[in-house]
Amino acid sequence: MSDVAALRVEDLQEIVEQVWSSYLDPEGIEPLIPVYDDIDAMKTDMHASVSITGTWHGHVVVACNEPAAKNCSAAFLAMEVEEVGEADMMDVLGELANIVGGNVKSMLPPGCFVSLPTVVTGEAPHYPSAEPVCQLAGHWMGDPFVITMWQSRGDGGDAA
Amino acid sequence: MQAILIDDSRAMRLILRRIVGQIGFDAVEAEDGQAAMDLLNSMDKAPELALIDWNMPNMNGLEFVTAVRKEPKYREMTLVMVTTESEQSQIVRALAAGAHEYVIKPFTAGAMIEKLALLGLVPQGASS
Repeated sequence: MSDVAALRVEDLQEIVEQVWSSYLDPEGIEPLIPVYDDIDAMKTDMHASVSITGTWHGHVVVACNEPAAKNCSAAFLAMEVEEVGEADMMDVLGELANIVGGNVKSMLPPGCFVSLPTVVTGEAPHYPSAEPVCQLAGHWMGDPFVITMWQSRGDGGDAA
Repeated sequence: MQAILIDDSRAMRLILRRIVGQIGFDAVEAEDGQAAMDLLNSMDKAPELALIDWNMPNMNGLEFVTAVRKEPKYREMTLVMVTTESEQSQIVRALAAGAHEYVIKPFTAGAMIEKLALLGLVPQGASS
């Protein structure tokens, strides 16, 4: 397996801080509070993902629950939380995955491509031929938010 | 002044609309490069500014820039890529294809306005 370009939780944290300060928390009053224990117990039922192919193969998944997705959408779209609909949440979570995935890509070896985002509700996406290699979890406004980077097993990349 | 906002994310188009609205632009929207080309072809006058995502279905941002640059009637339109594609080689590709500037997502409203000011697209006092 290739080195995952030494991507660290701190790298994900930096990307997340930029996203929060740009769109979700411009006033700096509601940051994502990192969680280090019992991450598996964090209940998420909305999952937005992008796939990365090329010199590195894997997926970046942004997961949260519905209240967090509503808060995200309200912040992004400058709406009241009560006005947020399912299409709004799908669109905003997809864009979050696109932004996080695109920034992750910039830390990988050159020659990678990012797919369009996919958003699913319910069960978390499962990648049988990949394993999680980097994860950032936290609470935002009391709700769970988890970003996971999966790397395909045995991935040497197209150019390897 | 008018801007065309080209992004498959409605949320991002809305953010861009708010920002360019602050500095006096009316905005029209397209969800991908092909829809933007169709919209441009239906307009009497091309917008002064296009903010263009890279990663879109049907026609991506780079393809859109390339297509627009083939049309003399769109020569005056300022093309700004607004994208997560931050690799140097990708930036060079976009600029070589004819984009004028580049803004990396995530961006703040201030950063976007600053970039547009550098391009001479912010009337004095419009952002205050």
